Amino acid sequence: MIRWALVALVVGIFGTPADGVAQATRERLDNGLTILVRENAVAPVVAVSLLVTMGTRWEEPSNAGISNFVHAVMVRGTAKRSGAQLAEAIAALGGKISATGEVDYSEIRASALSRFWRELLGFTAELALEPKLAPGEVGGERDWLVGRIQKRRDSAPARAFDEFFATLYGAHPYALQVLGTPQSLGRIDHAALVAWYRRFYRSERMTLAVSGHVAAAEVLAEARRLFGRLERGGSFTEPLRPAPVNPGTRRAFEQPAQQAQILVGGIAPSLDHPDHAAVKVLSTILGGGMAGRLFVELRDKRGLAYTASAYYDPVREPGALVLYLGTTPQNATKAEEALLQEVERVRTEPVGANELSRAKGYLLGRYAMDRRTNERLAWYLAFYEVEGVGQDYAERYRRAVEAVASADVLRVARQYLGTLTTVVLRPR
Amino acid sequence: MWRPDRRAPAANGAVLVVLLLLAGCATVVGLRHGAVPKPAREVLPNGVVLIVQEHRASDVVALQLWMRMGGRDEAASELGLAHYIEHMLFKGTPTRPPGSIDTLVEGFGGASNAFTSYDTTHYDFVVPAAHVRGGIELLADLAVNASFPPGEIDNEKKVVFEEMNLIEDDPEKFLLRRLYEVSYSPHPYGRPLLGQREFIQKLTRDQLARFYRKHFVPRNMVLVVVGAVEPAQMRPLVDATFGRIAAAPPAPREAPAAPALDRTRRADVRRAEKQAYLGLAWRTAPTGNEDIYAVDLLTYILGDSPSSRLNQTVREQLRIVATIDAGYGAFEQAGLVTVTARLEPADLERAEAAILDVIRKVRAEGVTEAERQRALITAESSYAFDIETAEGLAKTYGQAETTWTLDNELGYLSRLRGITATQIQAVARKYFGDDNYARVRFVPEGASP
Repeated sequence: MIRWALVALVVGIFGTPADGVAQATRERLDNGLTILVRENAVAPVVAVSLLVTMGTRWEEPSNAGISNFVHAVMVRGTAKRSGAQLAEAIAALGGKISATGEVDYSEIRASALSRFWRELLGFTAELALEPKLAPGEVGGERDWLVGRIQKRRDSAPARAFDEFFATLYGAHPYALQVLGTPQSLGRIDHAALVAWYRRFYRSERMTLAVSGHVAAAEVLAEARRLFGRLERGGSFTEPLRPAPVNPGTRRAFEQPAQQAQILVGGIAPSLDHPDHAAVKVLSTILGGGMAGRLFVELRDKRGLAYTASAYYDPVREPGALVLYLGTTPQNATKAEEALLQEVERVRTEPVGANELSRAKGYLLGRYAMDRRTNERLAWYLAFYEVEGVGQDYAERYRRAVEAVASADVLRVARQYLGTLTTVVLRPR
Repeated sequence: MWRPDRRAPAANGAVLVVLLLLAGCATVVGLRHGAVPKPAREVLPNGVVLIVQEHRASDVVALQLWMRMGGRDEAASELGLAHYIEHMLFKGTPTRPPGSIDTLVEGFGGASNAFTSYDTTHYDFVVPAAHVRGGIELLADLAVNASFPPGEIDNEKKVVFEEMNLIEDDPEKFLLRRLYEVSYSPHPYGRPLLGQREFIQKLTRDQLARFYRKHFVPRNMVLVVVGAVEPAQMRPLVDATFGRIAAAPPAPREAPAAPALDRTRRADVRRAEKQAYLGLAWRTAPTGNEDIYAVDLLTYILGDSPSSRLNQTVREQLRIVATIDAGYGAFEQAGLVTVTARLEPADLERAEAAILDVIRKVRAEGVTEAERQRALITAESSYAFDIETAEGLAKTYGQAETTWTLDNELGYLSRLRGITATQIQAVARKYFGDDNYARVRFVPEGASP
């Protein structure tokens, strides 16, 4: 059964660094690059997250997937070594390194045994600043990515989510898939990849975060040495992006599968919006954990769905609140009706104190549990930086969640679940 | 992305990975700082084993109840019961009505999880350290007082059917499941852990309760406590809960032999996906067998990372697969090394031949010292990342105690270090032949393999 992520920590102790986990050290280099280091003696490991503000947010349908494509070619080799040599060198550190494009950023992430932190940082810098981007690698990586797109299309849940975001976001780039499409990748040539890399890989667009069993001063000095020589990239004009307008439509389509997929939702606030915490609580009340309403009512009580959850991921521009069911084709109609009843209920009846308290405990517990491994700690450090919300965000978020009242939940439910977009995928 | 992938089917809708071979030890030579202390192991008078370790990575405690019972303990008339119990246990006890357990645990920011495998099942909580007493009381209550409310049993059937659909929709999970089926049938390791639809449909509360009473006895129970606790304070809590469970003899466990593999163990499955999947499996060492160390290193060398042989040859040089991985599933009665790949249907034959070539070369020429070293570092690293969280460490202990021994687990990395390249080549010769493997292929409809 799905007993999802392992979560804990009481609300009261949330935000308190654990034994051995120090506050992060932050430094902005003269060239604009930000470095964050957190010392964490929990295990003999180190993790690095290098985020660059480059992703689907800056893409268009014609070049969708280019940020991720660039990273796929980057890991094929640097000025100093081939992709195979890089893989071998990283494996010798007990490590791993990978690079992907995401929505609001792209990431090079690496981790290894902490005694190799210096080597790991060196390989990260080499990959970021001296990728070979060889013309001969483009075709092979394109084929590989097209294979992944195909795999994603074959997966009913992934396909349903992609269709949902495309429908909900319309002309906004959040409608695009991070992987792109076979057509868009087919149009992107070597020159376009190099130009895209040069446009975004600039010191002032980069944030380097390190977390692990390391000494912050040593890491800072090494990071300065590796990244300090980079020159500023100069001015950058942000493209204008149309505000997404929830179309409130319902789309149904078919593909071979055992399970039916039902997604219902709307446009929701961005990460730094005053309503963010209240919508997170709303999302948790509906679909957070096994005591969430969708799980209890639709799965536990009525057996109408196997998967019953809600998603509301933090992003820079308007987010999406998605209620999601995976169920048998026979139950699909009933399940969708029941889901809409739950939406109606949360928009009309105030949430009780116990339920509100459970949701907050779950939400903050999950959040705290997610910030324990060094990989996640490094990512969070860099993420809050590139999202521009500041390193005190975690604490502000905790306070904001605790302050959410029943009336706030009712208000945001009415506001953000008033117009609903629906995508249904039925097995063929 | 490239963590070891010791894979085998497990019944849990969320994540498939059951850690089968325990890459770890608690006194890792490579730990320069803050080496993890040894866990305390005690046996209560009624047979419950208690393993406790202080771990202050954060202010939480992982509580895991491991049962020496899993899918392999089901009789032919009980298929799927171990997993069904896993679903039903959280539904309540006489003092805890349906729904109250999830609300309680989630309300104080904790979480629960449960897994069924062939040799074991386990029930996990992660809770704030302040709630350790409540957590242990809850686990002990679930261990003997589950009430299996009749209405809940019927509802849960639909959920289990959905879980079956979900696995079938995921080509990678389903490939592994079919590969185990083809490799082991009729041995219990070849059964689907979720059982068969027809049987689950007719399942009664009596059957469930009988199975529960037969297997949930103290001598089958291992309680693992890892987290921000004082170890000395745990025994009294456990004495007052698990210690009060009446002693009873566990049901005897059967040990049928796993069948030998040959070219008759083949299955081609037509699937809706556009890409093909290939899975090959060789019978190797079970837990408790001395060969596991060398087989584990060999698996790392073959297919664990981008620098592994299969990746470098079949993916990078020949470019005939999109992904390729090797995994080692070591169980008490048998082990299996699997190689799985995603590829174009036209390349199925070539890829299989290429995989066999890679293995043939290891048999003929052995592995290099650099490869052996990399495999060791990978094992050390895998363990170091596992112990970042209390639940990760608890899991290595629970798995070891139920399917192997805690001491073997604690000495694992140092044993690995003693394995030579010659020994790795020897297990390649002993277990990996040109004919003694099972094969499952997923072929897109309309394509010819």
